[in-house]
Formats: sequence, structure tokens, C-alpha cells
Amino acid sequence: MGELYNRLADDIRFVESLKACINCGTCTAICPAAEFYNYDPRVIATTVQSQDDEKIRELMSSDAIWYCGECMSCKTRCPRGNAPGLLIMALRSVSQDMGFFTESEKGRQQLAVKRTIGDQILASGYCVRPDMVDPGMHPEQGPVWDWEHKNLIPVMNKLGANYNGEGSGALRKISQDDLDELQKIFEITGGQERYDKIEEFSKEKAAEMGLEFGTDTNSEYFQHIYTANNQKHNHE
Amino acid sequence: MKLEGKRLIWQDYQKEIADDHYFYARSCIRQTFFPGAEAVFVKILKDELGKDIHDEQHHTSCTGIGYHSDVVPFDTTMTVVARQFALMTEAGYENYAASCVTSFGLYTEILDTWHHFPEKEAQIREYLFKATGREFTKPKNLAHASDIVYKFRHQIAAKAKYKLVDKNTGKPLKVVEHIGCHYSKMFPHKGIGGAEYPYVLSGMIEAWGGEVIDYPERRHCCGFGFRQYLVQANRGFSLSCSKKKFESMEPYEPDMIITNCPGCPMFLDRWQYALSEMEGKTYGENHNGIPVFTYEEVAGMIMGYDPWEIGLQVHQVPAEPLLDKIGIPYDSSRKFKGKNGEDLGMPESPSYLKFYSE
Amino acid sequence: MGKHVVVIGAGPAGLETSASLAKLGFHVTLVEKEDVSGGHLKKWHALFPTLLSGKDALETITKGLDSSIKIQTATKVTGLEAVNDYFTISGHNGWQEKADAVVLTTGFQLFDSHRKEEYGYGIYENVITSADLEELFASGKAFVNRHGNKPERVGFVHCVGSRDEKVNNLHCSKVCCITAVKQAIEVKQLLPDAEVFCFYMDLRMFGRHYEELYKEAQEKYNIQFIRGRLSESTEDRDGNIVVKVEDTLLGKPLRIKVGLLVLMAGMEPAPDTKPLANMLGLKNVSDGFIQPLDEVLHTNSTEIPGVFVAGTCSGPKSVSDTLADARSAALAVADYLKS
Repeated sequence: MGELYNRLADDIRFVESLKACINCGTCTAICPAAEFYNYDPRVIATTVQSQDDEKIRELMSSDAIWYCGECMSCKTRCPRGNAPGLLIMALRSVSQDMGFFTESEKGRQQLAVKRTIGDQILASGYCVRPDMVDPGMHPEQGPVWDWEHKNLIPVMNKLGANYNGEGSGALRKISQDDLDELQKIFEITGGQERYDKIEEFSKEKAAEMGLEFGTDTNSEYFQHIYTANNQKHNHE
Repeated sequence: MKLEGKRLIWQDYQKEIADDHYFYARSCIRQTFFPGAEAVFVKILKDELGKDIHDEQHHTSCTGIGYHSDVVPFDTTMTVVARQFALMTEAGYENYAASCVTSFGLYTEILDTWHHFPEKEAQIREYLFKATGREFTKPKNLAHASDIVYKFRHQIAAKAKYKLVDKNTGKPLKVVEHIGCHYSKMFPHKGIGGAEYPYVLSGMIEAWGGEVIDYPERRHCCGFGFRQYLVQANRGFSLSCSKKKFESMEPYEPDMIITNCPGCPMFLDRWQYALSEMEGKTYGENHNGIPVFTYEEVAGMIMGYDPWEIGLQVHQVPAEPLLDKIGIPYDSSRKFKGKNGEDLGMPESPSYLKFYSE
Repeated sequence: MGKHVVVIGAGPAGLETSASLAKLGFHVTLVEKEDVSGGHLKKWHALFPTLLSGKDALETITKGLDSSIKIQTATKVTGLEAVNDYFTISGHNGWQEKADAVVLTTGFQLFDSHRKEEYGYGIYENVITSADLEELFASGKAFVNRHGNKPERVGFVHCVGSRDEKVNNLHCSKVCCITAVKQAIEVKQLLPDAEVFCFYMDLRMFGRHYEELYKEAQEKYNIQFIRGRLSESTEDRDGNIVVKVEDTLLGKPLRIKVGLLVLMAGMEPAPDTKPLANMLGLKNVSDGFIQPLDEVLHTNSTEIPGVFVAGTCSGPKSVSDTLADARSAALAVADYLKS
């Protein structure tokens, strides 16, 4: 057993997700990601089960651990009570803590997730806010959303939301005191550290790739990782 | 298909749902895309059923989307959730009602984790106290908001003005129910009807006069997949999942789709638009698409609430053909107007998918 | 000798044990809760690997019964107690006997396939069990699915209720792999144009001529063996069953449409076994099967002197293994009663 395997084994989700795998493929058979990507959760489980640190490092540096959509359909079915989806979460955690995630195209995207969802949580207290779903970045949202986005205040008002208002209700403004508590929780429990590591490792990678790093969603590196797709991820 | 077989399974997955006094935690995605649905839920519970529901102003996101796109560590998420529990405790409530399925799944997972690893619960209590000075009691009852509507489905039916029935033929509407993956796939016994044949929405559909369609890709994820939608380069995954479902349900000619998860109705709605623009393909009759609703919206519809008050105009797939089928009246001229009738302009019409305005 | 043995359960194990004990000169009472003896074998059309008819097999086994054997049918044992050096056994109908030794031959129960909810048994009409298929074979009726169609494709799902912690059965039921091969061949014989698939995790062809039968299934009948455990089945508009399974040897998730899906239901301990074991004070029955004194050396003895086991009440067995086990149990009883 190597260091990486031990780090994984420290994660409660790992303990709950992988007993002995029998390689039956029940997980892969219903995995939405396995249907779309060249991806096989069964192989992830076997690889980790080998306890071979070199293979685990390779896995953590690859695109493979980033294909899962965490729908957890696998957990319902595994005849050994395993949950590859949870195992993936443990792998992704260590990959980010160790900096392996910047070695793959899909892994590098974690900076994009951090700068959108991650930062939004601390800034507003919400994972998602309507102002954040920019029709330019989300053309699939369609013309009705485009119209709604242009008229957010009156539309939200009509639909009974308390948009950016004081007090309770949908889309209310979360008070600074509440946001401060959230920030404090992130600092004490390792959330802020995770954010910082994603930034640090990504910054190194951006320098290596010769891309402007910046601090927001407009930088060269962000735009690159947000849109890059080498088209090698899917079944032939 | 033998319905008796499903009924036998449903019997094995009953769950206790509190009767009153709910601490309501809102959903980030629901508020963003369908805030009218949450408004309908609160209105039905308070005004129609006379229930006590506490609308907490200090709760934040549970961080669920951050957790499931892996930027937020488990300890952080557990502590944020512990804070929500503390707010519930402080407000004097013990029945937690989550609007969001991701949150509901997460609360279930966390309570299960604490059950198996009490030392983890102790550590999270310490974290929470250190960060906020707060303490909490775990919920006595944890329900998803759809559980509560399910519980009162017959009372709602008794008060309803309309049924899920085609007014011209008198036949039940054919309804696809789509359950959010995290509702019961992780913990089948925490969901009504379990994971394989969840009954939470089917029960509403039956009680409200409709007929449930079972189609091969019924259990398949809508395609959110967290990072698979959040990052533009990955969205093909999300689209392909929804498409798989549309193709699979299409031969059954569904009149509508009902969902219980905040994200799914948005994806199933928007991807129909995207597919129509990309491939010229529309589902449903006459390029109308298959309308997708939240269960709260459907409850509001049959109660006879104004369709534009509950937010049916912010769906890309138009609701009008279905409203006509049921016989629910609406004023087209007010569809895209503000609360007091102010002019807000109008969305553009898609290339293929039907668009209704005045 | 004049010693008396009560055998509980008149399936193949009980019948064969009784016959052997009688031949050895013991007085035997064979108790059966049902009206007719024969157990599961009564409903089984043909046995692997030779396709011996179940009916013929049962007839041959029953013929071996000596007229001295008392067969007490329609009697559910409700009392069983060790008293000094003998046992008292009583039934729900007032029947009561004393015995110098007791042999438990309570057999197995077929796994209830409804419990594998994701396979849709009891919900989708064209999902049936291996036992249903035997009945269909035995009926001699036309081989059609529940929609009255000749299926163009038939799937066999191995390990239903076996090797599955989701249904609390960790054990392998042993006979399902070879049964699936046998039934797949029988289907091919009835429907030569049908495509037949077996979805398996491991093919456990442990018996003599099993591997040969498997080879024949592949070579002569072109049956497709796909290594992957079925994840779910659903029904399409025409009543076909759509299954999702990974071909783990190719690493590819597959969707296959079949007109008939057969679930190879495994063996579970019979529900009557544990109460009887409790009455006797047998402790080691955690999974419902009775634990013999030693799994290698003393397979028919138990922790209680004078109490013996034979057949599937101590774990899944084929009919031939069961018969051998029954004869071996008779010798173990004889050995005990002589000493």
C-alpha cells in the first residue's frame, strides 16, 4: 500500500464506496457517463483495488476520473454494495489536493467550476443565481431565458420572488453576517484551502501553457479550460 | 406491464412524512429558474392546507452543487448542512423540508454517514461551534418537498378545479414522471416507492387524474451531471442524456413531463429547444414540444392558479397546448407582461419549436 | 437393530436418505409437509447435464423406497426435541413419534425474483424465472412469450438472488450456471432461429460434462455468452424487454432487446429449516443453511449427536450431489446408531 492509496483510505466516502469489487459491470451497464464517454467505472474500481500507487497516480492525472456525473445510479445496483460514484469523489479530492488534476484536460476544468459555482457560494450564499446564467455563456438556455434575463427584476417580482430583497423568500439577499459564517466554515473545514489549491496548481499550469491566468472568468486560461475539447473523450 | 407488481414494491417503500410544522429550505436552482414553483408550494401548504411552514431567511446554499462538482470538500459541506440544522433548531422546528433533491440526497447521505461514523458527527459539531457558535439537533423528520405534496395529494385533488384529463376525449393525460437521481438512487428506503419504481410523482399523477407512462429510459439521468453541464466543453454529455430520454418516451406520445428535482425540468425544457435548433427535431405534436413541469406547478395548475402567476411563461417549451387540452383558461396578452401589466417586450421565437404569445 | 430414524422433508434428499436407511435395516419415518413427496423435482422438466426427465428421475428415486418406510405426508413438524438419547417429533396434526436419530432434509426455496426489483419480474410480462421456464417446457405448449409471440431473442440472467449483497445472499447457488446452459440449449432446440444470450459473471462449470455442455452450447447452438451482470430491464412499447449490461470483456455498455428474459433464480434456505434448527438448539445457522460439523470431513453430522443433514438444507447442491449426500448421510446415521 502506498501513500496515495492511504490518502484515499482516509476518506469516509472511500471506506463506504469500495469493498471487494467482482468486476461484474453492473455499474458500467447503467452509467450515463459510460454511454457517452470512453469511460468504465468498473475499471476505476479495479484499478484502485490493485492498491498500486503508480496506477492510482496515473488515474488521478487522467481524464478518466472527471467523466462521472455523480448521478449515483451505480450505488443502487452494485451487488457488493459498492459505489463507484463515491469512489470517484474520493479520487477527485486527492487529485485536487495533490495537484494531479491540472495534468488532464477534464481535470483542469476544476478551476472553471471553482471560479463560477465555488466563488458564487461564498459571494452570494447561492450555488447558482439567475444573474450568473449569462445567455452568452449559455446559448442553450434559449430565447425565453434571454428575455427573462433582460427583465430579471420585474419577472422575478411577478413570480413571487424576493429578488435581492431583505428578509425571507426566493432569491432574497443573504446577509453579510450569514456570508461571514459561511466563510468561516470554509476556513475551518478545508473549503478555503481546497479553493486556494485549485488556484495555485492551476496558476502553475497556466504558466507552463503560456496562458494569461488572471482572477476571473475572462482570462485566457479560464476561457481555454472552459471550452477546450480535444474530441478524444467519446466512443468511436 | 402489470401495475399490481409495482404496487407490491411500493408497499415496501413507505416513509414517514411529518404532518405539519415544516422548516423550509429553498433550492438554488429552483429559485433561479422556477421561483414560481416554490411560491406555489408555500401557498398551497399555507393557504389551501393550513399548514405551518417556516420560510427561513438565514439559510444558504447547502453547497451541494459545489460538493458534487468536487470543489467543496465533504467536511465543509457537512458543516454548512449542520448550520442549516442549527437554524432549524433555533427556529423551534424539527421537520426539515428540502426544496432541492440534491440537498435532500446530501442530507440523507450526511445523516447516514454520522450514523455509521459518530466521531465524524462530533467533529462537525465542533467545526460548526467554532465557526459560528451554533449547535443543532438533527431533524426528527426529513422530507423532500415532493414527499409533502405526495402526502397531501388527495386533499389537493379534492380542492382542485381541474384534472389531468383531456377535456375533449375525457381520457387521462399521458404523463412521464422524472425523478431526480439523488431522490432515492442512493438510499432507496428514503424515497416513496424506492429507487426502481418511485411512487412519489406517480402517486400525484394518479390522484390528479392522469396516467403514468413507463418507458425504457425512465430511470436515466436528465444529464445535469454537475460538472458535465457547468463547463461548456462538457455539455454534449448533458444534451445526449436528455435526448436519449426524449427518443425513448416519444413513441408513447406523452402529454407532459413532471419532475421533482430542481435541475431536471430546466434541462428537459431547454435541451428540447437546443435539439430543435441543432437538428430541426421537435418532440410532441405540431412542433409544440413535450411540456415539462415541476410538481408544484402542476399542483398550482389543477388548483386553478393563473398560469402566468405560477411561472409557466418562463418555460421554453410552451404550456398553452396542454392548458388547452385540460381546459385551463389563460390570457395570452398577459403572458410576458410584468406584475402590473407593464410591457417587458417579448422573447424571440425559436426556429422550430412553437412559440405562443398574444 | 430396530432403531428408528425420522427424516424430515420428502424431496430427493429425504427420499434417498430414507431408502438407504431402510436398506441398512432401520425403521424409517419420512415426514413431508405437502400432500405429495418429491419437492422441487416434481416441477422440473429436465436435469443437466444429460437432459434426464425430472419425472423419470423422481420415479426412479421413489422406486427405491422400501415398503417398510412410513411416509407421513401433509404433516408440518411443529415440535422437535432431544430428550436424553432419543428425540420426540410432533406435527401440527397431532402426529407424534420418537426416534433414535433425526435427518433434516428440508431442502431450499427458490429465490423470490420479485426482490430483484430492477429486473421487473411480476411487472414486465416477458420476464420469467428458470422455474417458470421448466414449467413451460413440461407443459408441452407452444414456445411463445406472454404476448403470444415466438421470441426472436431470449436472454438468460445468471446469479439472480445469488452472489448479491443487495438481497443478503452472498452465496453462489451452484446449479444456475449449468441450468442456464441447459435451458439455453433447449430454447435453441425449440426455436432454432432465435438468438440466445447468457449474461454471466463467472461460468462455474464444475461438474463432469458441464464444460462439454457449455462448449456444445457455443459450438453447436451458437449461444452468445456475455460476461456482465445485468443492471436493469425495462419494457418497450411492444412488450419486449430492454436490458442494460456491460460486456466486461470488451469494456462496453450494451443495450439488448429480447422477447423473453429468463432469470436464473438461485437457492435460498427453506423457511422451515431455521425454526427446526432452533427447536433442536442448533446454533450455527446464521445464513439459514445448516452448518455441518465439518465442511470437509463431517458433512452430514451436526453439532448435536443424532442430528444429521442431507441435501440442500446445508447449502446449494445439484440433484446428483443431493442423492450422493443422502446416501452418505444414511451411512453417517448407521455409524452413529451402531456405536
